Amino acid sequence: MTAFFLSLYVLVWPAIVAGVLFFISRGFIQEWLEARRNGEDII
Amino acid sequence: MDNEIVQFSALTVVLLLVIFYGGTFLISTRIGKKKENADDYMTAGNKIGFGISAASMTATWIWASSMYASATSGYTYGISGPIHYGLWGALMILFIYPFGKRIRKVAPRAHTLAEVMHARHGRSSQLMLAGSNIVGSVISLMSNFIAGGVLISMLSPFNFIQGVLAVASGVLLYTLWSGFRASVLTDFLQVVAMLGAVAIIVPVIFFAAGFPAAFETGASNLTPQQSNFFSSEAFLGQGAPYIAAVLAYAIGNQTIAQRLFAVREDLIKPTFITATVGYGAMVIGVGMLGVLALYLGFEPSGGDMNNLIPEMAASYLPGVLLALFFIMIIGALSSTADSDLAALSSIMMADVYGQNVAGKDKADPKKMLLIGRATMVVATALAVAFASMQLNILDLLVFVGALWGALVFPVLASFYWKKVTNKAFTVSVLVALAIFIPVRFELIPINGITGFLIELLAVIGIGVVLALMSFGFFGLRVAKIVGVVAILGSAPFAFGFLRDYTTLSASLVAYSVSTIVCYLMSFRSKMEFDFDVIAIRTGDFDVVEAQAETAEAGRDAQSLGGK
Repeated sequence: MTAFFLSLYVLVWPAIVAGVLFFISRGFIQEWLEARRNGEDII
Repeated sequence: MDNEIVQFSALTVVLLLVIFYGGTFLISTRIGKKKENADDYMTAGNKIGFGISAASMTATWIWASSMYASATSGYTYGISGPIHYGLWGALMILFIYPFGKRIRKVAPRAHTLAEVMHARHGRSSQLMLAGSNIVGSVISLMSNFIAGGVLISMLSPFNFIQGVLAVASGVLLYTLWSGFRASVLTDFLQVVAMLGAVAIIVPVIFFAAGFPAAFETGASNLTPQQSNFFSSEAFLGQGAPYIAAVLAYAIGNQTIAQRLFAVREDLIKPTFITATVGYGAMVIGVGMLGVLALYLGFEPSGGDMNNLIPEMAASYLPGVLLALFFIMIIGALSSTADSDLAALSSIMMADVYGQNVAGKDKADPKKMLLIGRATMVVATALAVAFASMQLNILDLLVFVGALWGALVFPVLASFYWKKVTNKAFTVSVLVALAIFIPVRFELIPINGITGFLIELLAVIGIGVVLALMSFGFFGLRVAKIVGVVAILGSAPFAFGFLRDYTTLSASLVAYSVSTIVCYLMSFRSKMEFDFDVIAIRTGDFDVVEAQAETAEAGRDAQSLGGK
């Protein structure tokens, strides 16, 4: 593999991690707001 | 290469620990109830949403050892190494989700998998699962405390024991009162810290260490196998044994089952898919640090692979990001340690006290909570003691892994096949273990006719593992085809070859023997088990409390409606 593809191969994982972090955080915030609206604990 | 390690001052480490454990404790107090419900203490009312459950599943599956092991795999096997650690571990989360849906359908309000086995079969199968989880969780707890002790002693003036005590008391502090509810809620914070850290740290180390240019200058440090993305050495040495081991872990381990019973039933699929991607990307990403170290010719102190990631971080990260790295590792080990505490307390509450000592209908919820909390304290003390003694627990770990491997088919078959009996379950697991042990520890000569028989069983084991994975998604017909094709396809390469890989062969033997024995003892049985019975036999212990809460909520709703 060339240096370019190796760089891509190493750096793609942190990028995916950032995407998952966004997804999970969005889900959490939505649930938290909903729980607040309903006057309940989030868990 | 000389590794110049940056160290924190004692004050900085104390501050970081206070911020991390103080923050998690503060969060746990927000959900603390003066009068906890025993069922919520174990499964949070079976209605957790997507954000928390996906975060919790990801955080629990990632422990400090998985990051260290992935980097070690990258350092040892080269560019494909982290894939052979992280990808298979991630895919197992995906492969078990169809089974998870079935288990939840059959036992919607259970607390532990062992409790379901009690309802399906009886005491012996329940105690096998519960016993293996007690041992497995104490080992996991100890292992995470050790990782914390090593990290703190490496990056600060504090010694190993002080580090172990700091981590153990921090985890116990925020988990003790609210149990599983605290565990999953704090998992969210921990997963944000872990994922955020990986997203920043890996690229920073990449550029700080001189990449991409170092790919050219350091290429000579790699062997042809290490440079090959399709390395057979990496697959046989890391990937294949890990596939066999991790399937057993996913099915047998209570920390995963507990989250399965806690998440809202319609959210099982998105939760498992998100955890698959999150775990895979995170662990492979950290594993890339091992690949970078290999290109750089970086040598961990004393040749100890556990020093690899901390030393890479300490060598290339500025102080602030090193603090973030520290929080990432502490977060990873704490999230798994609190899951182990919650799993242990549930087993003692539901399986030991609830099902076997008091009985389902006579169990006192208050006593259950007391038992759960006492279990956490005792387990923490035991794990600290074992960690301080630095016991060699590899053999015990191998044994627990084998027990879980032997349990996979009987457990899964018990959820689909009406004919599986308690006797078939118990005998198949014991026979599989009896054959696993001499193979794994090479107590018998693995050559000649014995070698042939072991390889034959291992080849059948390959078929069993692949058939089970296919069964969850595509059903019995496809599973049978996949199993037969896998056996016929692997046989020509396996005979005369697998005997050199006893770790892999022994795991496969555990799968195949338990499957064969369980099948032969069940297919003629007259049992026609009614799966609806399981939902009745498992369920809430704290019914009065739950009903009171429902009634109170109803009254509140009525009064609000009146206004």
